[in-house]
Amino acid sequence: MASTQNKSDSKSEAKQQPEQQQPTEQKKAAALEEDDEFEDFPVDDWAAEETEAAADKTAQHLWEESWDDDDTSDDFSAQLKEELKKVESSKKR
Amino acid sequence: MDALFSDFADAQREGNGNKLAQTISPAHSDEKLRAIWKSCNAHSVKDVLKHHIHNSSSGKNRLPQEEVKGWVEVFFCYWKAIDDILAVQDSATNGKASHSSWTTVYESWKDLLSALHRGYLSNGFEAWTIPCLYVAGKHLRVFAIKADRERNSNASFDSAAAANFEDDFNPESEQNQKLEDCARQLNRVFNLCLSDRAPIDESRKWGIYYVINLLFKTYFKLNSATLSKNVLKALSAGKGDMPPLIAFPKSQQVTFNYYEGVLHFLEENYVEAERHLTEAWNLCHKGAMANKELILTYLIPCHLLTTHTLPSQKLLEPYPRLQRLFAPLAQCIKKGELHAFDLALQDGEDEFVKRRIYLTLERGRDIALRNLLRKVFIAGGFEEAKEEGAKPVRRSRVSIAEFAAAISLGSQETIDNDEVECLLANMIYKNLMKGYISRERGMVVLSKNGAFPGTGV
Repeated sequence: MASTQNKSDSKSEAKQQPEQQQPTEQKKAAALEEDDEFEDFPVDDWAAEETEAAADKTAQHLWEESWDDDDTSDDFSAQLKEELKKVESSKKR
Repeated sequence: MDALFSDFADAQREGNGNKLAQTISPAHSDEKLRAIWKSCNAHSVKDVLKHHIHNSSSGKNRLPQEEVKGWVEVFFCYWKAIDDILAVQDSATNGKASHSSWTTVYESWKDLLSALHRGYLSNGFEAWTIPCLYVAGKHLRVFAIKADRERNSNASFDSAAAANFEDDFNPESEQNQKLEDCARQLNRVFNLCLSDRAPIDESRKWGIYYVINLLFKTYFKLNSATLSKNVLKALSAGKGDMPPLIAFPKSQQVTFNYYEGVLHFLEENYVEAERHLTEAWNLCHKGAMANKELILTYLIPCHLLTTHTLPSQKLLEPYPRLQRLFAPLAQCIKKGELHAFDLALQDGEDEFVKRRIYLTLERGRDIALRNLLRKVFIAGGFEEAKEEGAKPVRRSRVSIAEFAAAISLGSQETIDNDEVECLLANMIYKNLMKGYISRERGMVVLSKNGAFPGTGV
């Protein structure tokens, strides 16, 4: 669900790009000026329970374990299948 | 002044370095600074200080004469620096011109750091007092940045004229004049800590990582991150009698690991980079969102290249900026949408370049391609079973035309077969795909077991 939603988002973004280019560029320039320096921590030291590792025991789930996408039901896969069929039929001809 | 020296006396009695460091901090309320400044004048200040510091200790804890002398110098510089700071602030509020600027503040604060430096070398300041060096070093950097900014904004009016007249004008180093000087001062402090030969319990070596982190920040800001390498070299040369990093406070461990990780990252040494950044991530305070975001900015590209893992939605969720940066790319890689990947990379180019992650992310294209090729393979379905009940076998011969069609699907640009073969050969070389190309037949023969390593298929 979420994945198809994202996809259509990125598509519509791509479509709108030509008109929107101007404002996004300005926004970017502003964002780039921020200083992103590693900040001083408000405290010097902290207990193990306060660390990120302890806060998230399920740390592995933060990374998708496999980069294989076996979901063949999305638009792109369907498109791909169509395309491959065309190749197939042109060969047979 | 009385309050200041009662804190000083307490800190000396308890041997509390952080408390002591607070007595020379410029980060106090305006009233407090003003009260300290008003309590004496330029003629009497040294005598007043001597009196206070001498009386701050008694009995067997009495400060040796030499040390008293050293602290008088330090507080004299502190008093003068406050004078300059207040003058700058006043002229900012009432708009009047003053004798002071952030440049003068920087210079007088540098005197304070030098007085401390001498205190350790000649007046017998003890190692527990090193937080004073932290406070002095940290604010020296702040004042240097302010001084440079102030000078640059004043200079910008006639910079056009300057550019016309001076051929050898070097805007980069001119712009960061004070910060560069600050880096030299911090380097002196680094050596002061590194070269201490006292037994480890009472050694200034305990100040080393704090100072290194300040130096890293300074070098990164000066855009000369590579200078940090010299610091690391000097550090590893003296490592033998250095306490291990894990013996230091976590704030210092995390900061150090972050910078060391980023340094490895910039050298494209991604395995080491990932190790340090993961360490920084794990130890980081869970509430330090800005710092966690910075760690992830480099850790995510590392993961992509080393373990080929993508960030999950859950990881990106709390960071809108990272989501904007990475979510479209991750999505395209996963789906094998090659053309959309190129567009997403182009779209974020400015920011990727600024964060120095563009080249690393660009390599993610290989993985997007690999995933696309794999989709072609999956779409190929299975061979007709040769005998009843045999385990189905995937069709392992795929024509190059099919791959070509898949690659040009997104961009709608035709790609010729030679180019496709070249891409495929690269995939095979990089061990992202297993098999061989049969040119005469225009086919790729894929390995029957594990055509795309790292997957179940």
